[in-house]
Parts: sequence; C-alpha cells; structure tokens
Amino acid sequence: MKILFAILIAGSLLGLNVWLYKANKNTPVPEGCENLKPDCHGCGITDCSLRRTEEIREDTK
Amino acid sequence: MNLLTLFLSALLINNVILSKFIGMCPFMGVSTKLSSAIGMGVAVIFVIFGASVLSWALYYYALVPLGLEYMKLICFILLIAAFVQFVEMFIKKNSPALYKSLGIYLPLITTNCAVLYVALDNITQKYNLIETMVNSIAVSAGFMLVLVIFATIRERLAASDVPEAWKGNPIAFVVAAIMAIAFSAFAGLV
Repeated sequence: MKILFAILIAGSLLGLNVWLYKANKNTPVPEGCENLKPDCHGCGITDCSLRRTEEIREDTK
Repeated sequence: MNLLTLFLSALLINNVILSKFIGMCPFMGVSTKLSSAIGMGVAVIFVIFGASVLSWALYYYALVPLGLEYMKLICFILLIAAFVQFVEMFIKKNSPALYKSLGIYLPLITTNCAVLYVALDNITQKYNLIETMVNSIAVSAGFMLVLVIFATIRERLAASDVPEAWKGNPIAFVVAAIMAIAFSAFAGLV
C-alpha cells in the first residue's frame, strides 16, 4: 500500500510539473519583454535554457 | 530557539554562500552588475520563502503521515520546479513590470541549490512553521546581502587596474575568499 502512495505522490508532482511547464510555455510574454536576456557570466551550466552553450563556451575561453 | 538568534545566525554567521558555499553559480554568474544582483536577490527571497513553506507542509501533512519520509528529496525537487513555473506564469499574466525586472531570473532559480538546501534544512533541524518562515527569509536575505555586496565590489573591480591574468573570475574568487574570512568574524555574535 505504501508503494502505491509513493507512486501516487511522485506521479502527481511530476504531472503538476509537466502541466505547469506547458502552461507557462503557452502563456504569452508581456509586451516589451520578448527579448530579455540575463546579464550573467561565469556560470558553467551548459543546459541553461537562457544562454546557449556557444555563448557559455565563448565566455569561458 | 529564539527567533532573533535563528534569524541572525542564518543571515550572517551561517551565511548560505560564504559559510556553506551553496548557490555559488548565481553568486559568480549574476554579480557583475548591481541591478542584476538586486533583481536576482529579490527573486531568490520570494522563491525560497514560498518553496520552503510549501515543502514543509508537504512533508508534515503528506509524507510523514504516510511514512514516506525517504521521498522528501525527489518530492522537494519536483515541488520547487513546479512552484517556479507557477510563479513565472503568474507574474507573466498579472504584472508585466515585475516580469521585466524579475522574470528573467526565475528559470535560473530552478537550478539554484540554495532553494533545495533551505527546504531540506528546515526538515533536518525539525523547525516548526514559524521557524521555517524565519529561517527561509533569513537565509535568502543573507544570499541577497552577500550578492549585492559582491556586485558592488565587482563593479569597482571592473574599473580598476587589475593584472591581465587576474581579470574576471580569478580576482572575483579572491574577493569572495576575503569576504568569507570577514564574515567568519560574525561567529561570536550570538
């Protein structure tokens, strides 16, 4: 029974995450905010959704 | 525990960046400009506070009664990611001005380990709801404090005559080390 609850809780959180991710993607960005770019340098996370890997490589050269 | 002691301890003595070395990525990445540091700091305070309260409630009202305490790590990760998505969507819809100043930093916070650290620490230390709220505000305010101080120093460093080999991240790490030593002096405060 415990394992069922565990799967249910993890599954619902995962489902909530996927649903919110899709809803967030489909929400239009407010006017004037279409080309916002973070002013960040020095972070080496290569799967960042905001900065392309090429930009990061350029920064870290 | 006295709430003021808890607040000062989390803010200065056990500072999340300079004492625990957590959240180093935004500390180095978003500290080149003061305006960015303030935006990131405010967004972190909001997300850490919300995520901590939600994860505390999830743990004590769902995981503990069902005997599923071992699932706290995976549940908190999913909860934090979902919360950040929700906050970003809410700000997009209801406050374009706020989105302009904070929105860009919200996706970065999903990968900020300080958020997960606070959520897990509240459980490990067995804090009640009030202590959880005070601790999460203090930790995130400590994060913002150090980020803002570091950004002002880096802005001045950018205009200083730094040797070529030390420019950029190397001198920033030296400054961070000196700041960590300076903050260790707060150890005797409480």
